[in-house]
Amino acid sequence: MPQRSFHASRPFLLLGLILAGWLLVPTLVKRILSISFFELQAPVSVTASHVRDLQDFWSLRTRTRHDLIAAGRDLARLNASYEVTLQQTETLRSEVARLEALLRIPTLPGYRSEPARIARRDFNAWWQRLTIRKGRNYGITVGSPVIFSGGVVGKVAEVHAYTAVVDLISSPTLRIAATLEGDSRPLSFQGGNNPAFGPARGIVDYVPTDASASAVSPRRIVTSGLGGVFPAGLFVGEIIRLETSTDGLFKTGEVRLDSRLSELTEVTVLVPERAD
Amino acid sequence: MRRTLIFFLTQFLLWVLLSQVNHELTPWGIALFFGGLFVGFSALHFERREALVGAFAAGFLHDVGTPLPFGTHAVVFAAAVIFLQHVRHRLNRHEGLITVMVILIANLGLFLAVSAVAARLLPDVGGFTSRVFSDLIASQLTLALVAPWFLALQSKTLEIAGLSAPAEPRPRSYP
Repeated sequence: MPQRSFHASRPFLLLGLILAGWLLVPTLVKRILSISFFELQAPVSVTASHVRDLQDFWSLRTRTRHDLIAAGRDLARLNASYEVTLQQTETLRSEVARLEALLRIPTLPGYRSEPARIARRDFNAWWQRLTIRKGRNYGITVGSPVIFSGGVVGKVAEVHAYTAVVDLISSPTLRIAATLEGDSRPLSFQGGNNPAFGPARGIVDYVPTDASASAVSPRRIVTSGLGGVFPAGLFVGEIIRLETSTDGLFKTGEVRLDSRLSELTEVTVLVPERAD
Repeated sequence: MRRTLIFFLTQFLLWVLLSQVNHELTPWGIALFFGGLFVGFSALHFERREALVGAFAAGFLHDVGTPLPFGTHAVVFAAAVIFLQHVRHRLNRHEGLITVMVILIANLGLFLAVSAVAARLLPDVGGFTSRVFSDLIASQLTLALVAPWFLALQSKTLEIAGLSAPAEPRPRSYP
């Protein structure tokens, strides 16, 4: 009888041994395994994204000349408006530099923009991550902010040889210091629930009690610049619901994020420039 | 060794296809999980050591690039293999329908186990239940359609490589 119970429990003893063995495996070995498996997957994901780009290219080739002329015209208009914005930015930049010199205040951190195509999107209930086609080979560093035309995308979580993994703002694993647009008081944003068949949501904490927002009159939130990761003023999302927190000192609420986040194909990584 | 390697190639193919499908599904807010399919065939037909190597390899494929500690999926997959090998002598595992049913049940267990680990290790912001439930339903329905094809693919690949006869363990007899 004892022998029979030993036979019956042997697999679970083995499982316990495997678990204990895995916990005892040195971190270095785990790190080597992790890097090896990632670099094994990376070429496949990158190739697949190149194939998708090729598909897009050939589908665009089917467009008529009329469409191309219209797109060219729209692009020329957009370029003209960007030229004006660029001139204004340059004027403002020199003004900032003059004031910094005059007031002897430290220079704001600078960023180098690094556009990158997306190789793979990995979104589930627990995390939302992107793999981009640029990594250490383009000087991308862990913690670099990632943006797109609609505002903040997320933050670089892992950097590999030719790819990098980005944590999206919709991912509960990411927290950002933000403010209400036009207000300087900081609040905390965290990725939240990502329902099926709907846009991603986030949550805000520590919202001042005098703030109000609803689905019909949402309040925009932008990055605060605190924490030194994201530059100030980048759009994060819109608060669509606010309620007083349990302690009554602040408000908490729900944030609607840009629906384009789930179908991104290209992002820009802001690589911090070194002071030297 | 050769069989393990060829088996891993089929697992890698499944991972590639699954990751591409999940990539395309992101605008709909659905993610598929096929953990049961990665371990099912090896757990039902291979020797323990080979099946465990397969489970760890598949687990590592799932582990990289996630915020979970490296090895989480691998250990959960290994647990599934050990459990399935423990009960396989009671099943008619050469029957396709039975195999698919076992894989579906294994997938359900693995999905819940990984979700439990993620819920414990990652920040909890609440309201995940509906998303987890919809992912699970979508995964199980798709898996029921895909499993027969993938099992046939694995079986045929091993057959082409001249390794079609997985070790047939003796039925366990207790004293």
